[in-house]
Amino acid sequence: MDALLSGQLLVAALVTGALYALTALGLNLVYGTMRLLNVAHGDLVMIGAYVAFWAFTLLALSPLLGLVAAAALAALFGLALYHGLFRRLLAGGKAAQRLEANSLLLFFGVSVIVQNLMALQFTATPRGYQYLDTVYRWGNAAITGNRVAAFAVAVILCGGVLAFLRFHVTGLAIKALIQRRDAAAIVGVNVERVQQLALCLGFASAAVAGALVSMTEQISPFMGFPFTIAAFVVIILGGLGNITGGIAAGLLLGVLETYGVALTSSAYRSILVYGVFVLILLLRPQGLLGGRRIVR
Amino acid sequence: MSLLALRAVSKQFGGLRALSDISFDVGAGEIVGIMGANGAGKTTLFSLIAGNERPSGGTIVFDGRALAGLPPHRICRLGIARTFQIVRPFGGLTVEDNVATAAMFGAAQAASPAAAAERARAVLALVGLAERAGDLAETLTLSGQKRLELARAVATGGRLLMLDEVMAGLTPAEVAAMLEIVRRLHREYGLTILIIEHVMRALMQLAGRIVVLHHGEKIAEGPPAAIGADPRVHEVYFGAAA
Amino acid sequence: MAGDYHVGVGLSLLMYVALTQSWTVLSGMTGYVSLGHVVFYGLGAYVAVLLWGEAPLAAIVPLAALAAFAFAALIGLPALRVRGPYFVILTFGLAELAKYVVIVVEGWLGKFSRVIFGAPDIETLYYIMFGLAAAATLMTFLVRRSRFGRGLLALRENEEAAETVGVPTVRFKLLAYALSALVPGAVGSVMVLRQTYFEPAQIFDPVVSFTIVTMAVVGGSEDMKGPLLGAAGFVLLSELLWANAPQLYMVLLGLLLIVFVLFAPQGLSGLLPARRKTP
Repeated sequence: MDALLSGQLLVAALVTGALYALTALGLNLVYGTMRLLNVAHGDLVMIGAYVAFWAFTLLALSPLLGLVAAAALAALFGLALYHGLFRRLLAGGKAAQRLEANSLLLFFGVSVIVQNLMALQFTATPRGYQYLDTVYRWGNAAITGNRVAAFAVAVILCGGVLAFLRFHVTGLAIKALIQRRDAAAIVGVNVERVQQLALCLGFASAAVAGALVSMTEQISPFMGFPFTIAAFVVIILGGLGNITGGIAAGLLLGVLETYGVALTSSAYRSILVYGVFVLILLLRPQGLLGGRRIVR
Repeated sequence: MSLLALRAVSKQFGGLRALSDISFDVGAGEIVGIMGANGAGKTTLFSLIAGNERPSGGTIVFDGRALAGLPPHRICRLGIARTFQIVRPFGGLTVEDNVATAAMFGAAQAASPAAAAERARAVLALVGLAERAGDLAETLTLSGQKRLELARAVATGGRLLMLDEVMAGLTPAEVAAMLEIVRRLHREYGLTILIIEHVMRALMQLAGRIVVLHHGEKIAEGPPAAIGADPRVHEVYFGAAA
Repeated sequence: MAGDYHVGVGLSLLMYVALTQSWTVLSGMTGYVSLGHVVFYGLGAYVAVLLWGEAPLAAIVPLAALAAFAFAALIGLPALRVRGPYFVILTFGLAELAKYVVIVVEGWLGKFSRVIFGAPDIETLYYIMFGLAAAATLMTFLVRRSRFGRGLLALRENEEAAETVGVPTVRFKLLAYALSALVPGAVGSVMVLRQTYFEPAQIFDPVVSFTIVTMAVVGGSEDMKGPLLGAAGFVLLSELLWANAPQLYMVLLGLLLIVFVLFAPQGLSGLLPARRKTP
């Protein structure tokens, strides 16, 4: 019981939660504006992690700076995918009818390619590095500097994006696009530009989360997948397209997972996450968007 | 005994009362029109009868049989067919297959694919789509798809046909053609028709009797001439008389 | 019989033909795309492993198929109420969930992995797999020509309209789902006996689900020969690459999936000049 009440666990839960929130934020932006189900989202986290890793080991660049490179790379990658793959689908035509299902298959293909290319290049062995791992004592908790940094950055970023969405005119445009796509176009929102921006922002967020994760966890080409699942669980829990909801749900999932694992074992962790995932999908058969009719 | 009898039918969506206390009868062979402004509850009424939604209260009896709680495909088997306001063709199937599927699964229960195809061709001829039989449904124009929707509903073999704004979006010439088609189908198949329509001219010409809905309530019922003169209907459509 | 290696390749080919044909009965015909079909394969394998030694081979294979069928029938009712891409990710999540549940259950039983002793020889397994591939192909053929198949195609085009013209959509979807699980369950039992080794994480492999979908997309799922083309193509590719460069194989798989989804959604079968047969 003592273990449960320890500050240690709370810190771990908060850090995990903050990272989930950041990852899910990205997924929400992409899905909300374009209805694309990015099942490669976790792989963006992985890419971010690798960028930070290489920045640190090769250039001795702090991951807190490396994450900028990660973000930029991810944004570029997003643009490339947008123009190469999704432009065609989003514009219309027969494939557009099955847009969501097709986009899922496309992202799946991308995910497999990315993971295996990374494995080809860098081998599948996990890697890690030490950074900011001096231990601080706070109450009865021993926390490492990198965890604090990760939490801080994640919180700042989430806050920043929220503020952007609230106060900046482009942020408002993004929200408009999420709420009513066709109406947004009518009131003058430049749909093409805004959705690309949302995509870049979304991809960048995931990569930053990855850079932060790399400070505390080992990285491998196939590490992204649990993040994808977690991100989906979070955005479904928080409401699709609901940015604040997603952030809250991310923290919740982080807490649930950390305490869940502490109570049982990590073998059960996956059952918890996938169980919640399946249950939510089953209990909301109307397709998670309320009364929206999906005509295939 | 009337073919279709509604008694005190109501439908609530959460806090919204879409329909309240709707009662009327439809006799075999009649053409009854349903009139009302948007949001009056007309399509909801159809959805209740066809089984796409469940009534919150009241009874719907078809051919002596209560329809409460039956799923749409069973209600179709019993003999009720409907079209949708926004057409829903089986886009990837041919025009003929669209209609043949209805002949197979509907009240007609065509015994074999050949029988279904035959019935389909017959109906398609009546609606004037015979030459497009081999084309994919999604290649039809709106007017064509509306006629396909109609053909499909008729091919199910139902005795009661519910038409939801089949004239919407059609040019005056197309409306006249559709009017003729509906009359022809009514005659050839001995159908009973319930028709929602905004195109007043068409409604007045087709319907023997009209039911007027407003905010989910029935405010008038009677032959077209009487409805046209009814002060309540006037008030709802044109505002109170000065 | 040709050397063991060729039999092995043949077994792989037949396995994927069986899996992909079964998959199209659900996903090709109803449009409900399953990205977690390995769950039936894995369940069949588990049943076989549990029953091995207790029951004869002739009973195990059908029982594995039935177990998968039953599971699909059970989970299908709530699962098929979920539409479109959500169904797709649901099936994926289900397969992963099943995997971890089996891992945990095996943990309770004190097993980490199991080895099978006295497994049937590869020739026997080969003939069984041949039968399964034939059965799956026959099933696809029969379903397509049946009234049931017509109903499935209609509900794929527009589910609500299908219901309105009398198609019992709920029942039909469920039947399609359960049927699509039958042969994969049997296939799983055969393959685990071939491997003589069972480990949940290895058997419930999402790559299998992914390969099935890719084969169907590339080969085409609109008719019978599509899955045959897809399976043959990929087994060929895998034979060339898997031993030396499995990641390259996966990259190619991903690329092909993308290319075909974008440019040739009807698959290779759809690209071939078609004899216009009445559906």
